[in-house]
Amino acid sequence: MVPANGITLHVQRLDPTGPAPGGRTGPTPAAVLIHGMASDTMASWYFTMAEPLARAGFPTVLYDLRGHGRSERPATGYALDDLVDDLAALLAGLDVTGPLLLLGNSFGATIAFGYAARHPDRVAGIVAVESAPPTPEWMRRVRVRLDRVAARLPQRGALAEIGVARGRVAARRAAETGRMLADTTLAQELPASRLPTTEALAAIGCPVLCVYGGASAVRELAPAVRGLLPQARVVVLPEQRHTVLIDRPEEVRRLVFAWLAEECSLDVARSTTA
Amino acid sequence: MPAAQDSILAELTEMINAVLGDFAEDQAVTMDTTFQGDLGMESIDVVSLAGRLQARYGDTVNFAHFVAKLDLETVGELRVGQLVEHIATSLAGADADEVGAGSR
Repeated sequence: MVPANGITLHVQRLDPTGPAPGGRTGPTPAAVLIHGMASDTMASWYFTMAEPLARAGFPTVLYDLRGHGRSERPATGYALDDLVDDLAALLAGLDVTGPLLLLGNSFGATIAFGYAARHPDRVAGIVAVESAPPTPEWMRRVRVRLDRVAARLPQRGALAEIGVARGRVAARRAAETGRMLADTTLAQELPASRLPTTEALAAIGCPVLCVYGGASAVRELAPAVRGLLPQARVVVLPEQRHTVLIDRPEEVRRLVFAWLAEECSLDVARSTTA
Repeated sequence: MPAAQDSILAELTEMINAVLGDFAEDQAVTMDTTFQGDLGMESIDVVSLAGRLQARYGDTVNFAHFVAKLDLETVGELRVGQLVEHIATSLAGADADEVGAGSR
């Protein structure tokens, strides 16, 4: 647990177990893994990318966003700026001062883009799984999603239904999400966030990898992301859904490591084949 | 069960109860207990347990590497005994095996 921005965040760090990636001068970026909003935790990254990144030579940091997982749950402070402030404070608290490779799942990548808009010199690359930069259109969709979840979970029998369909652990997680949405202003504050200007987002010059599921509505944002960030490599995995990171971790790993070598001059081929 | 595994299981049981907190059920944890099915642990609970293992055993027990071989689906089928055996093997091999040294 690490104090940051006035709250306590649950953090896990994995030190590199393999040799540093070749092909690049200067310090190896730290990989920071940011999970999605409402029903997600750092576990999505822990069981998919964290260990492979550490084995490929990256110092790796995972954390639970405020209100989520094992991190503290203040009643307020869920606007994009707060979430970016949390990340900045966390990195300072951990003494991570060098370049960053930010990997975000769903809204976690939106936080990564928000961080890059405010700290463009720190970010060496962004991986966005099923996400988009903080644009009005994406935030409108986030509002619709959050409203839907917030309306459904308190309904009589909703948790029992989830339990029958998906089991006791899924029901417990849904109950936790319901409690968070009831106990915090997240569903109201987040969609109403002050957003970076289009110019600030377009000025993000680092390599970007966007991965979408072919069956997910989020992929409809891909053309807008390309327009905003022409350097972005956009990959659509056919038939995959919003949960593509968890459903297809090996494909996501392959895409990330290929992009690291080809776009970021981080040649990790040696360590990942071991 | 070897004595070493016996004491590891006892320590692990304490950690599991600490992680589960209010959700801890009044049941014996054995080598055959599953983290998800029997204990109702969520994936984030398993990550939290990983943090406690790291604090207790340091670099010797590389939990991240151990679970990297499992995906999110099969991590639910993980038995307490598999983890006990992994810890026992890691501790026994700590002096000889430099390659497997832990994540931090």
